[in-house]
Amino acid sequence: MESSNDSLCNSCYKPFTLTDTFCNNCGFPLQGTKEEKDSHIANRTIKEVDLIELQRSVDSACNSLYWIAGFIGLSTIFIFFTAAAEDQFALLIMNVILVGAFLGFGVLSRSKPTTAMISGLSLYVIIQILNLIADPATIFKGIIFKVGIIIYLIKGIKSVMEADKIKKELNIE
Amino acid sequence: MEEQPIPENLCDNCQSEVPLGNKFCSTCGRAQNYKDIVIQHKRWPNIQQVGLFFVVEICCCVASLLIKDHSLTTLFCLDVIMGCSALLFFFYNWPENKAILKWPGFSIAKLLGLIVLTILASVTVTFLVDHLNVLLFKKEVRHYTLFEFHRYGTYLMFLSIALYPAIFEELAYRGYLIQKLLSVVDEKEAVYISSVLFFIIHFSLISIFWLLPFALFLGWLRIKTKTLWYGVFVHFFFNATACFLDLYPLEELFKLF
Repeated sequence: MESSNDSLCNSCYKPFTLTDTFCNNCGFPLQGTKEEKDSHIANRTIKEVDLIELQRSVDSACNSLYWIAGFIGLSTIFIFFTAAAEDQFALLIMNVILVGAFLGFGVLSRSKPTTAMISGLSLYVIIQILNLIADPATIFKGIIFKVGIIIYLIKGIKSVMEADKIKKELNIE
Repeated sequence: MEEQPIPENLCDNCQSEVPLGNKFCSTCGRAQNYKDIVIQHKRWPNIQQVGLFFVVEICCCVASLLIKDHSLTTLFCLDVIMGCSALLFFFYNWPENKAILKWPGFSIAKLLGLIVLTILASVTVTFLVDHLNVLLFKKEVRHYTLFEFHRYGTYLMFLSIALYPAIFEELAYRGYLIQKLLSVVDEKEAVYISSVLFFIIHFSLISIFWLLPFALFLGWLRIKTKTLWYGVFVHFFFNATACFLDLYPLEELFKLF
């Protein structure tokens, strides 16, 4: 059976045939009651709005990886000039590795956000633990920034999962 | 009576024909990626389990850093705890992990080739790391120091540094962790994440030059061969070579020739 411009789905505007009970592109109940149709459109709209919110959360978490790189970069300058001369070279090398790692995670987060955020979060937590063991007083230095970064990254990972789930439910790539 | 498999173009809910490319069944409205949606719902709990595994690993490693006077007893206690943790996580997910304990397509030539390459890589890495430690930290790191006072120190060193990590770290990282991550991300990402976590847990930033590539190789090997065993052998010979060079440094070996 041919489809015409008169047979467009009310939800996704894709053509359908008159024998279809549901739209084969979005699952809209073509033969359903008004309540069923309204409910489908409302649910789809809610999910689309949620998806936009989740994407914002993912972007913030991705940006926090650059923030960490920047923060370590700045502290490197301070540490370099205050550390003992014999430790300067080793500290510089290690901090350069860390800045590079977080910048790398930041770049990776655009294409593989889950991988980048799990790696970034793990490395960040380990750095804080090692700092804590070396000097317990450091736990309170910039505590709000540290807690904020960890929360952002955990929320980011969860948001990626939620966003992927909604994309699958809406059947969009 | 045996059940007939449902062809791909039949809806798994109402058995109506669904032309390939249609996202929903036009008869019952069932999403044709229904199985993917079910998998998506399990991703977050799986990530939480990976998080729990990593926290346990961190706790064990931090405990080893906090103990001031290391002895063989404390070392073996921590080894036992981490070994139990690896076994617990691996066997908790037994249905999905059991397949990687098999050794499909076993090849003695491949295994021997890998072992030779591993020994050569370990000699190179040991040589470079020794020089890097002297250059950056002005010190020589020897594994044998902790074991030399014991009557069976040499055997214990090989047991603790070569055999134990080869079995339990492979079981934990290339076994449990990669398998669990495969239900969350794709193969490349699973290898990458497991390698980063493996590198991080060693608490040695400077070893990024060899530990991360080594972990990536082990992860790749695990995915490519679909078995844990090549990795176990590679890991064992890598660490065993480092232990051997600790007992017989390269400079002394060169003098013999």
